[in-house]
Amino acid sequence: MSDRVQTLTPQDVLARADELQRQLGGRFRDKIVESLYHEAEHIARRAVHHRTDRHWDLDQRIDRLVTSPIFGMPLMLLVLAAIFWVTIAGANYPSELLATGLFWFEARAVELFNAWGVPWWVTGFLWHGVYRSLAWVFSVMLPPMAIFFPLFTILEDLGYLPRVAFNLDWLFQKSGAHGKQALTMAMGFGCNAAGVIATRTIDSPRERLIAILTNNFVPCNGRFPTLIMLATIFVAAAFPPAFASLAAAGAVVAVVLLGVLFTLLVSWGLSRTILKGEASAFTLELPPYRRPSVMRILYTSLIDRTLFVLWRAIIVAAPAGAVIWILANISVGGTSLAQHTADLLNPQGVAIGLDGVILLAFVIAIPANEIVVPTILMMYLGTGMMIELEGFEQLRALLVDQHGWTLLTAVNLMLFSLLHNPCGTTIWTIWKETRSRKWTLVGALMPLGIGFLVTFLTATAVHAIGWI
Amino acid sequence: MENGWIWLWFVLALGGLLALRLWARLRPLARWRRWRALRERALFEDALKHLLTCEHSSRDATVESLAGSLGLSQKRLPRLIARMEAAGLLRSHGAALHLSSEGKQWALRVVRAHRLWERYLADEAGLPIGELHHAAERAEHRLTPEELDALDAHLGHPLRDPHGDPIPTAAGAVAPLEALPLTDWPLDQPAQIVHVEDEPEVIFKEIVAERLHPGMSVRILERMPEYLTIYDGQAEHRLTPVVAANIHVAKAPEGPSQPEERIRLADLADGEEAEVVALDPDCRGFSRRRLLDLGLTPGARVRVELSPAFGEPRAIRVRGTLIALRREQAVHVCVRSGSRSGGKTQKPGVSRQ
Amino acid sequence: MKRVQPAMSACETCPAHTRLAQMGIDLAKYDRVVALAGNPNTGKSTVFNALTGLKQHTGNWPGKTVTRAEGGFEWGGIRYKLVDLPGTYSLLSASQDEEIARNFLLFGQPDCTIVVVDATALERNLNLVLQVLEITDKAVVCVNLMDEARRKGLEVDVRSLSRDLGVPAVPTVARTGEGLGDLIRALADVIEGEVRTSPRRPPPPPEVRHAVEELLHLANGLAPSLPNARWVAYRLLEGDHRVRQALLSGELAQLVDAQAAPSRRASRKIALEGAQ
Repeated sequence: MSDRVQTLTPQDVLARADELQRQLGGRFRDKIVESLYHEAEHIARRAVHHRTDRHWDLDQRIDRLVTSPIFGMPLMLLVLAAIFWVTIAGANYPSELLATGLFWFEARAVELFNAWGVPWWVTGFLWHGVYRSLAWVFSVMLPPMAIFFPLFTILEDLGYLPRVAFNLDWLFQKSGAHGKQALTMAMGFGCNAAGVIATRTIDSPRERLIAILTNNFVPCNGRFPTLIMLATIFVAAAFPPAFASLAAAGAVVAVVLLGVLFTLLVSWGLSRTILKGEASAFTLELPPYRRPSVMRILYTSLIDRTLFVLWRAIIVAAPAGAVIWILANISVGGTSLAQHTADLLNPQGVAIGLDGVILLAFVIAIPANEIVVPTILMMYLGTGMMIELEGFEQLRALLVDQHGWTLLTAVNLMLFSLLHNPCGTTIWTIWKETRSRKWTLVGALMPLGIGFLVTFLTATAVHAIGWI
Repeated sequence: MENGWIWLWFVLALGGLLALRLWARLRPLARWRRWRALRERALFEDALKHLLTCEHSSRDATVESLAGSLGLSQKRLPRLIARMEAAGLLRSHGAALHLSSEGKQWALRVVRAHRLWERYLADEAGLPIGELHHAAERAEHRLTPEELDALDAHLGHPLRDPHGDPIPTAAGAVAPLEALPLTDWPLDQPAQIVHVEDEPEVIFKEIVAERLHPGMSVRILERMPEYLTIYDGQAEHRLTPVVAANIHVAKAPEGPSQPEERIRLADLADGEEAEVVALDPDCRGFSRRRLLDLGLTPGARVRVELSPAFGEPRAIRVRGTLIALRREQAVHVCVRSGSRSGGKTQKPGVSRQ
Repeated sequence: MKRVQPAMSACETCPAHTRLAQMGIDLAKYDRVVALAGNPNTGKSTVFNALTGLKQHTGNWPGKTVTRAEGGFEWGGIRYKLVDLPGTYSLLSASQDEEIARNFLLFGQPDCTIVVVDATALERNLNLVLQVLEITDKAVVCVNLMDEARRKGLEVDVRSLSRDLGVPAVPTVARTGEGLGDLIRALADVIEGEVRTSPRRPPPPPEVRHAVEELLHLANGLAPSLPNARWVAYRLLEGDHRVRQALLSGELAQLVDAQAAPSRRASRKIALEGAQ
């Protein structure tokens, strides 16, 4: 007997396995899982004793409310709006303070350098190029992030996100997408690259690809500062001071909702054209609510997220600031290189309600979206006269009075920062996750195309009506 | 001006380097060769399939019919036939073309690949039945025999593809299909759809539009000269005889696949409790495995707890956890309704009669 | 995204387990490999962070750990490498995360596996525990979220659980560090053979028993003394691609050889200590 077994080859065993499998008729799995659960029931019954009758009471009541057909959705919007409102209202003052302090330091440093007789180009390169861009990144981005991320982390730790996915799933289903896409989008708020990685929890390759390609439609935290700043400077300014921060928060919520709308539309379009198919099996666990632990929230949001984003911005912004300063100060035929490039892009920029400098900033910011606004400012400052910017008022003056920004510019810039190519890290992640040049290309260019189209349409419409 | 020339050379050199690198990375020549080999294989296999189809319908395949099926010009076709003849795959008798035994084996392998892939797409990727064919037409030429065997085992050696056509075994054996067209089936006798014909496409589309598919239990309610009314346990369908003739049925198996007697998890009202009886046999592949893993096995207690704004999905409490399920999943779970009295202190899902 | 950062914290900050030294991602040298498995949302990442001192991102929603994370800790002079596997409901569905977890348990040959379970939903979690016990007999069950269970009026009898499962079960509250010392002690006991485990492996259901037994016999013929031969037989009967491949390539047979290695390593260690 054992001799016969010894001479068996793996192929023989497999063949026999196939035969047995055929005889069992495909219900083997059912039987095994049933017996496992049967066993689990027995063991659990022996080990678990209920002391009281009431269980899941509070959880259930909260769940009834947050997923309620009537209150569920409004509550979700309210939570979102509240987070942005707190962020905007809270970040305003610290941002100004930081800006004032940092630029005061710059002025003193430049004076000192001048007094020492350091050549102008060293001073310019170091302080007006590198330092100034870093100062901008710090003062514009740090306060909002330090408020936004802890709030978001609280939601995450509480267990609210799966409820959001639960509320929204119907929409995703109708778009032919997976309900967990809402979760990957929530991750995308933090970082689109992280959102793309999180799509691994989606089992159907088709739906996973949809989630990857549309993740960029949620503004990541590199883009939030841009949105928040624009909302603060332009949208809030159009309202009386009492409602200013509320209006700004509303504008950011609107942009986020627009992102969700585009996610759904594009998912719908994809699942009816190049990624045809029906929604696959969807199961989502709604875990019990858990009290978030303060230390972990502070750690996760401040160290893991805020500092991470800031660091990324800095290591990109510093060299970018240097490059921009060089471009702005090397002249060919009387105009600077930066101006040449910006002029080259200007017609396209104007056609979509922006300008050449803004487009150039988006090109320079491909490695990290965080530096779009700092780049724009540096280009404006570098090519124009050097002025001290000590807060949002002066900033507004620079953009509106010197560079002709209008509400359309602001709105289209918000739209374009929502709808453009993903940052370099995200593109790289898409490539790593899909291993496909085609899908990486689609993932990079499709949002850009949509961005051009949408901003072109709004600009054309506004011009046609004659508002501006 | 001189500077300009230096820049130009620099850019050109950089571009050249980049092009070289790309060439080395992408290997366009090798790719082109692979693509040609694949195209040739596809051509061979499509020709073999055509010959097999003709053989099954007892027609003689001819050069003309082959040209029509492959869409090849009269110039290229003789070359193809000569190559296939040289490879010992077919013999020509006058105008008629016949498969050799090797050719037939190969043809059956392609059919096997096609139908297994369809099964895979339907079970694991959840592709709708109407789109399986085209996807499989491409994949059938790419799969290697090893991949096919692995796929076959992974799918649990399915006997039929989603249309109900038999899947040939690796040895080339084909299980015959015993079924009657719906037009010949007696009134009011429970029947199970075992096969839907996917050609011609116009009629197949009508079948798909009615959401009829193999595995469904149906009954003929009335038979008129110009139409046939059938009932699938949930809805009535009115079919023209042409459509009905393309649907094949057999005697329905006893018990669980009779849909009308069963309440589905999706039918429960909010807050209602029930006990799982079985999973629908239609629920296959990944979807079935996931439902099982979550503990929706026979005997488990379930309760509908939450339904959001759009009424879907609904959150089900099973084995102490809250799981959101879409309606499509919930219809696959057959339940026995009724809340238990005095079961409050017990954990849901623990009890077993 | 997981951003793993080495922790600066030494032992002073963690009074719950005084002899534990968190090593972060410093994995240059380690003596034992420990896998961390469990359902999603059972606080697996919290256990991982508490043991290694890393700050792996945690969040209360399913599926945030999608890749494998590794960290280390030292306890009683032995360095452990802890591998955090993706949270899964089962090891059978062959989705991507389950495959990662399954392949590591089978082919990664951890010295021990910690299965983290949610005390408030024991039944669902035990399904996975039983599956893990089919693959390996070196396991410890970490009954986490005991605080939540208490809040919900559930009393979990861990001793009954240990007895029924045949492996140690340790009650913990990973958030506060409660019970983690016991967990490590149990882990060390299982690895060093102080505690002999006899994992509960329910007999195959009657409808499939003959098939399982026949295949078990055949598999034993190919790879004698494979400890999880029955599980391999299960997988073959399900047409598991990876296990079929492993059988064909002889990888399974090699696993048997590798499984003898830990004891050799242990004996060498004893010899070294004896020499000092």
